[in-house]
Amino acid sequence: MSAPETATGGLFMHVTFDMCSRPCCLPVVRAAVGQLAAMVGWDETECRAITLAVDEALANVIRHAYHGRADERIELHCHAGEGELQFRIRDTGDAPDPTRICAREVGCDKIGGLGTHIIRDVMDTVSYESCQEGNWFMAVKRLRRQV
Amino acid sequence: MMISIREFGAARVVDLDGEVDLGTSPDMRRALFDLLRQTPKLAINMRALRYIDSSGIATLIEVFKNAQQLQKEFVLYGLSPAVQHVFRLTHVNRIFRIFETEEQAMSSA
Repeated sequence: MSAPETATGGLFMHVTFDMCSRPCCLPVVRAAVGQLAAMVGWDETECRAITLAVDEALANVIRHAYHGRADERIELHCHAGEGELQFRIRDTGDAPDPTRICAREVGCDKIGGLGTHIIRDVMDTVSYESCQEGNWFMAVKRLRRQV
Repeated sequence: MMISIREFGAARVVDLDGEVDLGTSPDMRRALFDLLRQTPKLAINMRALRYIDSSGIATLIEVFKNAQQLQKEFVLYGLSPAVQHVFRLTHVNRIFRIFETEEQAMSSA
């Protein structure tokens, strides 16, 4: 995977997935997100964590916004810039219920509810927005350079 | 994901290979629940598992709780660094009985 540079020499790459809401799409997205994270400069462990967080966000759309329906549409926009990755996911299903986001107690044996904790732990900023064009999930991960 | 099953005395060992995600965790769930009915001890070999998401973790918790209700043993072993990382992220290490090797997992009571 190669990435273009801006006029000022900064590295960037924008990748958009326009896909159906089938779980079989997830491995393809994971492969690309892992490569993007590696390109920006994260190590293998962080790349895995970022990939997992995006996978969880998409799985939440399939399970909770579309209730497992396979013929719906999901947009994923990934923007890799200098030391930063931004993800935006759009769906047109049910809006997320704010009371269920990170509602599960950490470390307990309750089934389910782990995905939003993973996303919050891995990403630097996470937000959810619902508007006329659908629901937007937005997350940013910033590279912390060692001094 | 591939699921292989071996007999180990009265126990059953499940070798998981590949990736467990939203698409494959229902297959794992069916297989583990089915096996749990047939054996007093179920051991999951996760050495060849490259990826697991929260749906896979949730399935393991569900099977573990079912094993507790049925008073059967449910153990995990051979977690790869990638899987260990997900267990740490989800804080589920303390829930399961986790071993490094098959020998340790099968000799535990």
